[in-house]
Amino acid sequence: MINFIQFTLTRALLACLTLFLVSLIVFSLMEFVPSNCAERYLAFKNTQGSNITVEDIAAEEKKLGLDRPFAVRFSSWISNIVLKGEFGQSCILRMDINELLSGRFMLSLLICITALLFSYAIAIPVGIISATTKYKSLDNALKFISYLGIALPNFLVALCIMLFMTIYYGDTMTGLFSEEFENVPWSSDRVKDFLSRAWLPIFVLGWNATAFALQTVRALMLDESDKLYVMAARARGISGMSLLLRYPAKHSLGPVINSLGFDLNRIFSALPIVALILILTESGALLIEALARSNDQQLAGAIIFLLTATIVFVNFVTDIILAIIDPRIRKGVMGGG
Amino acid sequence: MYLLNYRLKIIYYLIYLGGKSMFKKLFLTLIFSFSALTMSFNAIAADCSGKKVDGGAFPMQFELSEYESLAGCTMSFKENPNVASINATIRGNGELGSVESRLPDEPLVISPYDSIGSYGGTFKMLSNATEAGTSDLLSTRHVNFVRFSDDLQQIVPNIAKSYEWNDDYTQLTFVLRKGHKWSDGAPFTAEDVKFWYDHLMMDSNIREKPYGYLLVGGERMTVDIIDPQTVVFNLPAPKPGLTAMFANSYCQGFAPKHHLGQFHPDINSGADALAQAAGYENGYDVLKAYYGNSCWTDTPSPLLATPDKVANLPSDVYPSLESFITIEDTTEGRKYAANPYFHMVDTAGNQLPYIDYQNERYINENEIRILKLVNGEVDYKAQSLNLESVPQLMDGSEAGEYNVQIKPGVGSAAFSLNLTHPDEAKRGLFRDLRFRQAMSVAINRNEINDVIHYGLGTPQQYIGFSPRPDFVDAKWSQHYAQYDPDLANSLLDETGAVDRNGDGFRELPNGEPLVLNIDFATQGIGGGEVELVARYWNEVGVKTNFKEITPDEYRSSQSANELDVGAWKKGMPLALIMGEGKLFVPPYEDYFAHRNAMLWSEYIDSNGDSGVQPPGYAYEMIEDIAAFQASPIGSEENKRLGEKLVATMTGNLLFIGTVAPPFPVYHRNVLGNFTEFTTASYEYYRTYPYLPQQWYFSN
Repeated sequence: MINFIQFTLTRALLACLTLFLVSLIVFSLMEFVPSNCAERYLAFKNTQGSNITVEDIAAEEKKLGLDRPFAVRFSSWISNIVLKGEFGQSCILRMDINELLSGRFMLSLLICITALLFSYAIAIPVGIISATTKYKSLDNALKFISYLGIALPNFLVALCIMLFMTIYYGDTMTGLFSEEFENVPWSSDRVKDFLSRAWLPIFVLGWNATAFALQTVRALMLDESDKLYVMAARARGISGMSLLLRYPAKHSLGPVINSLGFDLNRIFSALPIVALILILTESGALLIEALARSNDQQLAGAIIFLLTATIVFVNFVTDIILAIIDPRIRKGVMGGG
Repeated sequence: MYLLNYRLKIIYYLIYLGGKSMFKKLFLTLIFSFSALTMSFNAIAADCSGKKVDGGAFPMQFELSEYESLAGCTMSFKENPNVASINATIRGNGELGSVESRLPDEPLVISPYDSIGSYGGTFKMLSNATEAGTSDLLSTRHVNFVRFSDDLQQIVPNIAKSYEWNDDYTQLTFVLRKGHKWSDGAPFTAEDVKFWYDHLMMDSNIREKPYGYLLVGGERMTVDIIDPQTVVFNLPAPKPGLTAMFANSYCQGFAPKHHLGQFHPDINSGADALAQAAGYENGYDVLKAYYGNSCWTDTPSPLLATPDKVANLPSDVYPSLESFITIEDTTEGRKYAANPYFHMVDTAGNQLPYIDYQNERYINENEIRILKLVNGEVDYKAQSLNLESVPQLMDGSEAGEYNVQIKPGVGSAAFSLNLTHPDEAKRGLFRDLRFRQAMSVAINRNEINDVIHYGLGTPQQYIGFSPRPDFVDAKWSQHYAQYDPDLANSLLDETGAVDRNGDGFRELPNGEPLVLNIDFATQGIGGGEVELVARYWNEVGVKTNFKEITPDEYRSSQSANELDVGAWKKGMPLALIMGEGKLFVPPYEDYFAHRNAMLWSEYIDSNGDSGVQPPGYAYEMIEDIAAFQASPIGSEENKRLGEKLVATMTGNLLFIGTVAPPFPVYHRNVLGNFTEFTTASYEYYRTYPYLPQQWYFSN
């Protein structure tokens, strides 16, 4: 048990360190991009015809505190998060980041996790069928659909569906809510409205993820099916579905659970592009804006911080779950049997 | 073949439009002559019913008494039947009085372009983000003292009833409308103008440094109140361009003193206490939330910036004189309600605007915006639409029930050679006028026009003023703008940049390799155009590479004086140049655009301590532009100096212009009273000259 606590604590510490390092890397990488957020903000103004000088930019930098050295800015930012739970102000949107992200990050997470569940719900049974079916053509057909999911870029799928919907239904399918539900509190009608639109990003993201998970499950199943312990079980007279589920399927589940955090990250990485195209009002689209368009360190940092925290947390939990369910790891962690 | 097809389509379309407007003219002439006939028989004053009359002081608009006497009628006022429910959406507004009590004593009478409109509907619009790509919609609700009329020549009254300059252009007097009210019903007076200038624009707590266009030669003006309806701007030096500034600037020259003043410590000693009671740090904090420290009206309102505290404030946004006022503000978009106190009526006495609400959505992806336009989900759009999208838009115009006008823009793409290049050998070559002339005639502008702009653009040289004012000889627009590779080659030979090693490319006069790198950003110039120009320059033996970079990288290389070639769009109309001289002063334009003489400006700023000494003509232009701005538009002195500026700028080919492209203007067919635009450009503030207040939804 001592070993288990030690294991948990080490993992938790490592998780915090990862979180800190990721934030530092994001913050410093954005430092190297030419022109800071003050300049980008004024550049927006300039495209509107406002006459802006270098002095205006310096004044804006001072107002936003961007004239302070990097170390001061980073440490005050990170300490505000740790001590007060405050992410500060978004430079480009001029509003409180906590306020801005309060609903949006959860929406992003909801979309990603739904897409993830959707993909596992399909990938695991279909992967098992694909690996064990006697019919070569079924296996090939399943393989084809899943490779299509990997091969087609998300944004292209989204654009194609949008074009189709525009031509045949006169609806561009953009946004997460209809206009009347955009800024109202959650209700059952709002959930319905959300689902009537959110299926598109969930489907687009899920298809791609399904393809990956399916290939993983299929490969693992094929690997495991030939192993000696399966043969031994077969020799003991277990066969059919019960053999599959009890031995190879159970063992191939380990790597799948292990890759939960990784898959979530992959889906979240794909989300911003899809979100930009579908005009989703969640944090993925904001992340692209903040990173690529406005160099808004605080906002990009906050989103990546939250995302990393989620992934680190998921990884931490899966590590613990695996330690509990997988005897091989349990043995390593706890010592003895 | 594909492109050609579309080109034909556009040309047919243009012919169709031309035909339509001829028909319209004929029709209008008939109507006019008919109404003139009836007027002479109709001496008894009847109720005004929207009769079109001629002979007003300004096109399309009248003062009330002027209209009544011209049309021989008395006007009674009518209101939007939904006005009470619209008013209820404006938090902080009380019960409404009658329409007569809400309008100024002398409302501005607008003659609708086609017909008297009907009330109702929501105007749908797209912007890019809270403060990006918003000027298009801003212009539909914008007001200022004056505006440009739709011919873009005449400056006509709007908020001001009239304006007057003194003889030497050092005193500008605005007469306001008696009984004019803010959107909350409080009176609008000269006090609001002085408050805006003295306590917002010139207060370093609001604007650390005042906007240059609100100063005269770097010095501030003084604002004097003569009476509640008369306000005078006293200028330290002549600046006739100030009226043009008020006509096309987004910066509105007034702010509600009765409202914002209560949070300003100079106006109300209890401002900070009042602000703290609402949960803000101090009065300036509230002003920042309301006013955004900017006279643009697209800055985040307290609804967006401080949603947790907005309920403690007297209203969601500060009162306005615009035709619409913000009622919702989120990161997805904004909604606006018609101002129940707006100062315009149509010729039948109906208070404007006709439309009830505006709905602005933010979409930052051009392709998605186009999709929404094709789908007919937007009522009007011009900003950030380019010729490239026209075939796609034209294709869907019938099904989407919309119309696309193709109108000239202001300005064109331009290239420049870095006149103060850090490499002395290159600098020497770039400063040789023959080299710049050669690079200009090496460009095949007609081909650029055909390939990039479907043949709809105008091949031309850059002359400083865009478009060319009448007082400038037309020859300058074609100065060294012909395609003549032989001339280019012989001019290049004369400069000493000849091919010494036989590799097909010329070397610098000192024998070192000559390579031009065009780093460009698509925000400033199209990639296709750069590619063609690079090809033309290579064809005359000047090795030219090109590479796309981000606008930020472009700005930073330009600031560091690292560019060989500047490539950015360029253009400013006469009216703006009257108030802003940067195009004629080194480094020629500002941080965000085209600068090709960084070290000249350093030399001037440091009084010769560092930088590179500019040639005599650069100093001449600095003097000429100052004298030009101090002389009234239309005077002989003004014309002479203008012509001289063009001769210096173009004669020295400081910038090489290529083709002025036109731009599309999109509007749905149901939008009534939508007139033909004269240009599609920001420079005259987009829709502001074309009376968007009288747009309505026809069924």
